[in-house]
Amino acid sequence: MTARGSPSRFLQSVLRNGVGRYVCQLKRLTLTFSKDAQPSRGAREFIEEKIVDFAKANPGVVLYVEPKPCSVPKLVAEYLNGTVREEAVNRKTGEEIAELVQKMASQSGLEIIRIRNPQHTDNPSIQGQWHPFTNKPAHINLQLLDTAGQQTTSQQ
Amino acid sequence: MSSLLVGVRCVAALGPRYSQVRGVKRWVRPYLLMLERKKRLEGPPKPVPRYQQPSFDYHAEILAFSKRLNEAFSTELLKTAFVNRSYVVKEEGERRELGMDEETATLNLQDNSELAQHGVDFTVSYITNTIQQAFPNLPVVGVKAVVDYLTSQQVLGHIAKNLGIDDLTLSSECPLSLETLQRTFYGIIGALLESSGPDTTGIFLQDFIITELIGKDLFEIWSVRDPMSLLVEQLSQRNVSPPEPRLTRESGASTVLPVYFVGLYCNKQLIAEAPGETIFAAEEEAARVALRKMFGFAENRRPWDYSTSRQGTGNHTALNTAC
Repeated sequence: MTARGSPSRFLQSVLRNGVGRYVCQLKRLTLTFSKDAQPSRGAREFIEEKIVDFAKANPGVVLYVEPKPCSVPKLVAEYLNGTVREEAVNRKTGEEIAELVQKMASQSGLEIIRIRNPQHTDNPSIQGQWHPFTNKPAHINLQLLDTAGQQTTSQQ
Repeated sequence: MSSLLVGVRCVAALGPRYSQVRGVKRWVRPYLLMLERKKRLEGPPKPVPRYQQPSFDYHAEILAFSKRLNEAFSTELLKTAFVNRSYVVKEEGERRELGMDEETATLNLQDNSELAQHGVDFTVSYITNTIQQAFPNLPVVGVKAVVDYLTSQQVLGHIAKNLGIDDLTLSSECPLSLETLQRTFYGIIGALLESSGPDTTGIFLQDFIITELIGKDLFEIWSVRDPMSLLVEQLSQRNVSPPEPRLTRESGASTVLPVYFVGLYCNKQLIAEAPGETIFAAEEEAARVALRKMFGFAENRRPWDYSTSRQGTGNHTALNTAC
C-alpha cells in the first residue's frame, strides 16, 4: 500500500506532556507467564533478573506478575490515555523482554501509525492566507491628490 | 443407521468423555446461532470499572499515581480524594441488602466533598491571580471567561481522563460523568494543597491546567458579540479617541471572492488592520485584532514561563515587595 493510503496522524502529545513536566505515560504493566512451560523461559528469566530494577527505576508504573498456566506469555501495557497494548513474549529472551518493556515505558500510548510530518503546528501559515495584497508594497495603494486631479482633468 | 448414531451419541454423552463420535454435528450450528442471537438481544456488556477487573491493587496504584506526577501526596488524603459520595451510598446500600444491621453497614469512609471544595476555592483564586498577572491589560470579564474555560467540565474532565484519574475514582456510575471527574480532580488538588502547600499546588496547576491555553485564541475562549463597542469602551477607559475605521485596500468587489481591508485609526495612527469578505466583517475582525493587541493576547505573545526556576504567585509577590 502506498503511503497515502495508509492511516496517518499528526505529531502530537497527550496533554502537552513535557511542556510543564514530563509524566511517564505507561501506568500499568501486566506480565502473564507460565511457571513451567517452555515458551515462558524468557519471561521467567526477566522476572528473576530484571524486573525489580525496572520497578525501582519506574515508580510510576504498577507491575503485575501473574503466574498462570499458558502457552504464550503476554505483556499487557496500559497507558494513561486509556490505550491497552498487548504483546506476546514467547521466543524472547529476558534481555529482549527488558528492551521491549523499556520501549513500552517510553511510548505515549497514542496510535502507532505513520506520522505525516516530523513537526507540527496549529498555525501552519505565518503570513496568513494569501490575498491579492500579500507581499505587495503598501505604497501602490496610495494615490497622490495631484495625480488624481490630473487624471480627472485629462478625462474631461 | 441414524438411530444407531443417536444411540452412539447417547453413549458418548453418558459414557467417558474422550470417546469420539464420527458424523455431522448437526447441533453445533443452531447452538452457535442461538449464542449469537442472545448476544445481539442483550447488547454489548455493561462497562466494568477498572478497579473491579483483575490485576488491580488499589494501594499500589495510588502510590504510583503520586510518584508518576512527581508530587508528595499524603496517601490517606489522596485515597479520600478519590472516594465520591455516590460510592459510599451504593456500598452501604449493598451491605444493607446483604442483611447487615445499621451499625456494621455504615462505612467508615470519608468522601471527597470537603477536599473538592478546598480544591475549587484554591484553583479559581490561583488561576484568576495568575491570569491577571500574566495579562494585566485583560479586563475582569475576560479574565473570568478564561478562568471559566479552564475550570469547565470539558477541560478538567479531559485532563482527569488523561492523567489516569478515571481508573482510580470510586463512584457508583460507570462510565464516569464529566461532573464526577471534575469533582475528583478538584479533590486531588485539595489533597495536594493540604499535603504540600499552595506553592507546589500552584506549579501543579500551571503544569496541567494552564498548558491548555497553548494555541488557543482569546475569542475562542471568550465569545464577544460586538467587538467594536468593547474596543470603544476600552479606548475611552484609556483616554484615547474612538477608533476611526477606514477602508485601506479592496479587491475583486464584483467577484465571488472579494477582499476588503479595514484599518482602525486613533489620532491618525494605525492601530489595527484586518481583511474580510465584506466591509463589516473586515471592520469586526480589525476590532478583534486591536483588542488582542491591547490585551497582550496576540498569537505571537511570549510563551508562558514553565522553567524549573519559576515560583508560585504567592512567592512572586513576596519577592517583588522585598526587592
